[in-house]
Amino acid sequence: MAKPSEHAIEVENLTKRYGDLLAVNGISFTVRKGEVFAFLGPNGAGKTTTVEIIDTIRTPTSGKVRLLGMDVTKKKRAIVPRIGVLPQDFSSFDRITVRETMQYYSRLFSRASRLRRNADIDGLIELVNLKDKAAEQYKNLSGGLQQRLGIAIALVNDPEVVFLDEPTTGLDPRARREVWEVLLGLKKQGKTIFLTTHYMEEAEILADTVAIISKGMIIATGSPTELIENNTNYLVLTLQSVDANAVEIIRKMGFEPVHDNYQDLKVRVEHTEDILKTLNAIKDAGGSFLSLDVRRPNLEEVFLKLTGEALHAGPAEGEEVG
Amino acid sequence: MKLRVISANLVVKLKTFYRERTAMFFTIAFPIILILVFGTIFLDRDKLSLDLYVQDLDHTHASAQFVKALELNGNFKISEVDPASDAREYAKNHRLNLILVIPKDFENLLNQRVDLKAPNASVTLMYIYDPSSTSVKTKMEYLDMEFTGMNQRMSGKPPFYRWEETSILNRKYRFIEFFIPGVIAMAVMTASLFGTVNMNTELLQKGIIRKLSTTPITRTDWILSNILYQFTLALISTAAMLLVSYGVFHIDLKINVWLLVFILLDVFAFVGIGMILTRFVQEAQSAAAAANAITFPMMFLAGSFFPIEMMPGFLQTFARLLPLYYVNEGLRASMIFGDNMAALRYAAIIGIFAAVVFALGIMATRWEEGK
Repeated sequence: MAKPSEHAIEVENLTKRYGDLLAVNGISFTVRKGEVFAFLGPNGAGKTTTVEIIDTIRTPTSGKVRLLGMDVTKKKRAIVPRIGVLPQDFSSFDRITVRETMQYYSRLFSRASRLRRNADIDGLIELVNLKDKAAEQYKNLSGGLQQRLGIAIALVNDPEVVFLDEPTTGLDPRARREVWEVLLGLKKQGKTIFLTTHYMEEAEILADTVAIISKGMIIATGSPTELIENNTNYLVLTLQSVDANAVEIIRKMGFEPVHDNYQDLKVRVEHTEDILKTLNAIKDAGGSFLSLDVRRPNLEEVFLKLTGEALHAGPAEGEEVG
Repeated sequence: MKLRVISANLVVKLKTFYRERTAMFFTIAFPIILILVFGTIFLDRDKLSLDLYVQDLDHTHASAQFVKALELNGNFKISEVDPASDAREYAKNHRLNLILVIPKDFENLLNQRVDLKAPNASVTLMYIYDPSSTSVKTKMEYLDMEFTGMNQRMSGKPPFYRWEETSILNRKYRFIEFFIPGVIAMAVMTASLFGTVNMNTELLQKGIIRKLSTTPITRTDWILSNILYQFTLALISTAAMLLVSYGVFHIDLKINVWLLVFILLDVFAFVGIGMILTRFVQEAQSAAAAANAITFPMMFLAGSFFPIEMMPGFLQTFARLLPLYYVNEGLRASMIFGDNMAALRYAAIIGIFAAVVFALGIMATRWEEGK
């Protein structure tokens, strides 16, 4: 008798073409059962195409994908009841309430009695903290609440593997954190979660393993800590509201300062003494800045280093998105 | 095919319909309004009564008798015009399309003719009319017929040419009874086509179809539940139309199994067309415009509101190419005349069309993303 695989997902040499466009370029990776696996990359990197091939929405051009030991191109019917999917830009029936939506999806999956199904639905509504909104129609929910409903729907069949395609894109910071709370709860339950995101903070907080994808190729894989340690040996000095004079001084000292998406200035330094030298030089030249922060690099820096492009292409932190 | 899944879909769609007031109005209330409006307009079409203004310049017993005779046959509702007024001006000022003027020596001339004092005596009745009026010709033709009859009776000889009428139809029917099967066919067509187009484009654009493709529901389940939903709406809408028609117009139409057959075939045909449309026109607004382009000619040329025999020859040929024509005629054959053979013939034609279009629709419906 064959030993069951420790992997929930096995991807081998996966390629997807749309005409002349090569969206996914021969990628291979595995996802262990019970782990949270994050696919991190900017918009258009190939994240959604990959996840939609694995969760059976799309078909690959070439390569092999096995989900729970089954070929996704041949065993869709057997796979679908065992997975839960929150597609990108999830939406639902406008005039159907939260509870009715849950009942609908539950009926699609389950032969269980209405009583049993309703008990499960109550539990899920509580899990995603939508109890107060259970009688509210979908169209009246805010973006964050809609995403939480989407997650609850993805869990309605108690899936072994959950696919969440950019679950927090378009949400304001508060709503994003509420979704993270739900996902951390799922992680505690031991669900295998495949997450795509372009928020590095999301990947760092939630993921056991992160695969960085750029232009259809995986360029690094590992835990967030491993990725940071293996790819960076410096500290990041962040200065807020820096004047042009100070930027020039930093350049003259041999550093390469860059502005991030929030217009803060980031300077990579190898030693703590470099920080002091830099600050003194700015002070001596009469330059100014509002505040400073020193920390170890994060996944965003790793991504910058590996690809030479900014990871965070979405709305800035703190920016309210509709 | 899973009944549990199909019924879950049906419930969601019916709840959405119930909560969508606009859809409710156009599916149920609008056809009823059409029936009430057209039914009222054409209520007296079978019992013609034309307004006729008469100016009696003679003002004698004979002229009064003549006016009374015109009124008695029931085709005219007579109003008098003051003999002192100028009939032309009166017609203009009161926007009348016809005034019949009885000349001053009407009685005198009539007596001369009857007493044979002057066997060739005749009286000239004057039509003061508005040639721009579309209905005045009909009114004048009716008057001509009346006067021909009166002349013939005055001659004292029986007519040589006589005639009898034998209808080729089992029964005579009223306009409203012709109209209602047409409205049923039209309402089911528009609800099925627009319902499918609107729902499919909306669910595709919102990504709901993509989400559903990751659940156990199959394309067949989805399409069957859509058919069941449209059929349910068609039954509700038809029942409402018939209830109002029986209640208000006391129609005499037969309700039999053919009604269900034609509604079902109507649904299949136009849901099929809707599925094909949404494959090629995926934007909601463009799809609705394309659906309009299909339903409009069908509504007016397929004989829903009036017989196609009223149209020029080439349009009649065109009408016979339209699927709705066969639903209209099939419903009339069964509901008005109880003609099962004719209903079967029309059902076979629309049935073949529906089967082909529906099969194409199934092939055109995207469920999973393309290769």
